[in-house]
Amino acid sequence: MAREAFRNNVLRAHELLASRLNGNAAAPLHQQRVSALQTFLDQGVPTTRHEEWKYTNVLPFIGSEFVTSLDADTAVTAYDCARAMGSLAEALDGGWRVVFVNGHISVQLSSIPEHVNGLRIEPLTDTLIADHPELATVAGANVAASTNPFVAANLALANNGVVIRVGSNIQLERPIHVVCITDVRASHRLATPRVVLLAETGSSVDVVESHHTLGDLIALDVTVAEVAVAANAHVRYHKVLDDGGALRHIGDMRADVSRDATFTAHTACLGGGFVRNDVSVRLCEPSSQGFLFGTSVLRDHEYADNHTTVDHCVPHCHSEELYKGIYNDSSVGVFNGKIYVRPQAQKTTAYQSSHAILLSERAQMNSKPQLEIWADDVKCSHGATTGQLDEDAVFYLQSRGIDAAKARALMTYAFVAEVVERIDLVSLRQHLEERIADKLGAEPFAL
Amino acid sequence: MTPILSIQQLTAGIEEREILKGIDLVVNPGEVHAIMGPNGSGKSTLASVLAGREDYTVTGGSVTFMGKDLLEMAPEERAREGMFLAFQYPIEIPGVSTANFIKTAVGELRKHRGLDPLEPAAFLALMREKMKLVEMDSSFLNRSLNEGFSGGEKKRNEIFQMAMLEPTLAVLDETDSGLDIDALRIVAHGVNALRSPTNATVVITHYQRLLDYIVPDVVHVLWNGRIVRSGDKSLALELEKRGYDWIKNEAAVEA
Repeated sequence: MAREAFRNNVLRAHELLASRLNGNAAAPLHQQRVSALQTFLDQGVPTTRHEEWKYTNVLPFIGSEFVTSLDADTAVTAYDCARAMGSLAEALDGGWRVVFVNGHISVQLSSIPEHVNGLRIEPLTDTLIADHPELATVAGANVAASTNPFVAANLALANNGVVIRVGSNIQLERPIHVVCITDVRASHRLATPRVVLLAETGSSVDVVESHHTLGDLIALDVTVAEVAVAANAHVRYHKVLDDGGALRHIGDMRADVSRDATFTAHTACLGGGFVRNDVSVRLCEPSSQGFLFGTSVLRDHEYADNHTTVDHCVPHCHSEELYKGIYNDSSVGVFNGKIYVRPQAQKTTAYQSSHAILLSERAQMNSKPQLEIWADDVKCSHGATTGQLDEDAVFYLQSRGIDAAKARALMTYAFVAEVVERIDLVSLRQHLEERIADKLGAEPFAL
Repeated sequence: MTPILSIQQLTAGIEEREILKGIDLVVNPGEVHAIMGPNGSGKSTLASVLAGREDYTVTGGSVTFMGKDLLEMAPEERAREGMFLAFQYPIEIPGVSTANFIKTAVGELRKHRGLDPLEPAAFLALMREKMKLVEMDSSFLNRSLNEGFSGGEKKRNEIFQMAMLEPTLAVLDETDSGLDIDALRIVAHGVNALRSPTNATVVITHYQRLLDYIVPDVVHVLWNGRIVRSGDKSLALELEKRGYDWIKNEAAVEA
C-alpha cells in the first residue's frame, strides 16, 4: 500500500511537471526525467528484503501524502530560512550560499556571487547543457548504473538543479553552502534538490550541503549530488544533517575522481528522524584519492544509515574511510562499506574502518563491510567494532575529580573528535565540535 | 592533631569473597607509610577501596578522611577532597589529550574549593613546571592520555598528575613495579618533592627497593587481609633479607 502510494505520488508529480514544460518536452533534461521515471517505476520502492535496504525500512513514512511544488515557495522568508539553519548559518557566514526551498533554488534567499573569478553557480537548464557539453558527462551520467530507486525519483522530479563550476587552477577560499529547506508547516512534502559540481583542473573547493525543515509534518528530502573532480583538483564535500524529527533524508553523492585529484566526503549525522546517505567514489585515473569520513551522534529514535562505495578502477589509487558513531537511547546506526578493486587496479591501497559506541541497551548498530578485490598486488584492510564505553577509563577520570557523567561525555566526545579533526574547513569544524559537544554534554576542546 | 586518614576494622571484598579482613591504619600529616606484602595479600584491594572502585563492596568498618566519612563519597568527591590514587596500571584514553584532561581535572578541583579557573597562560606555565619535576617532555601534553606511553612514562604521568592536583593524601599503588632504576629515581624524586608537613603518602609496594628512595616513617606488612606487623623502615630491610615466609608463619601461629 505504502509503496503504491509513493509510486503514484511520484507519477503525479512528474505529470504535473511535464504539463508545465511549454514545448520543451523533447529537450535533454526532460528526456532524462522521462527515462529516470521509467527506471524508478522498474526498480520500485525498496523493502527490507532488498539487500541495500536490509536494515533500513522506508515503509513507515513513504506512503504519506506528499505535496511537491513547481517553484521555490515564497512563503519561506529570510527569517524562516535563518531559523531553519540555526547556528550553522552564522558559522558559514563568510561563504556563498545556494538555498533550495522545497527542492527549488530560491534566488532571494541565496547569495550567489556574480563576478567571482573562476566560479559559476547557476541553475541546470537545457541552454546551459547546450553551451557546455561537458556537463552531460556529469549530470545524470551515472544514474543508469545506479540501483537506488530514490536517485531515479530525484531525477524524474528535479526541476532545476544547481550547477557549480570551479575554473582551472582556481582555489576558492570561501566555502559554498548548499542549503536545502523543506517547508512542512502545512503539508507533508517531497523535495528533490539536485547538485552538480565540476571542479576543473587544479582547482580547490569546499562545499557544505545541509538539510533543514520548517514545521512538524513529514519532510522527505531526496537529494542527488554529482561531482566531477578533474586532474589535480581537490574537492571537499561536507554534508551536515542536524535537524529535528521532521526530516527524512535520502541522499546520494557520487564523485568521479581524475588523475592526481582528491575527493573528500565528510558526513555528519547529528539529528533527523531518518537519514540515509549513499556516498560513491570512483577512482577513475591513476594517483587519484578518495577519503570518506563520517560522524554520527544520535539519541532518542534517531536513525542514520551510511552506505559507501569506493571503486578502484585503475592502478596506484588510494582510499581511506573512517566512520565513527555514538548511539544513545533507541537510536540506530548502519554502516555498509563496499570497496571494489578491479583486476587492473594493482598497487591499490584501500583502508576502511567503522567504529561505534552504544550508550544504551536499546541502541543498535549494524555494520557490513563488503570488499571485492580482484587484483592481487594491493593493500586493503577493514575493521568494524561496536562496543560500550570503557568503564575502567570512566573510573580513572573519576579518580581525578571528574564526575562520571562528564567523564563519559569527555570520552565519547574524544571518540568522535578523531573524525571531526580531519575537517580542514575551520569554520565548519568548530561548528560541528560545538554541536557534538553540546549533544554529548561535553565541552569542546581547544588544543 | 587530626589524622589525615583513619581506617578502623575495614572489611571488604569482591563478589562475595572477602579480601580485607579487618584493617586498622592511622596516617597523620607529614607521614609516609609503606604497605608491603606478598601477592594476593590485599594491597591493591585496599587501594581500590580507598579510591572508591565500584567492583569492591565494603562489608564493615569505617574510613575517615580529614574528619569526613570517606565511604559515603563518590570517587570524584574523594579526589576533590584531596585523595589521589596513582594507578598500578594507568588507563589509556584515546582522543583525550593529557593537557585537556588535567585542565578539566584541575578545573573541577578548583570549582569544588570555590576558586576561579586559572588563566590559560598561567596554567600552561604550571603544567610545564610540574612536568620538569618528573622529567617529562612537554610534547606529552598534546598526546592522548597514556596512549602509546611506555610503562615508565605512564608512571611519571601519574606523578605529574599528582603534582598538579596537590593531594592531601596520595596512595601510590605499586608505582615502582616494572620501572627501571632511572625511572624509579625520577618517580621517587617527584614524590619526595611533593612531601610537606600537611600532606601524607601511602606507598603500596611489593619490593623494598622503592623505600630506599621514598623513606617511610612506618612500614606495615599486609597478609591475608590484615596488617600483621608494623615497624619502622628497618622492617622493610628485614623483609628484603628474609622474605615473607616468617611473617606468614608467625601470623599463622598467632591466629
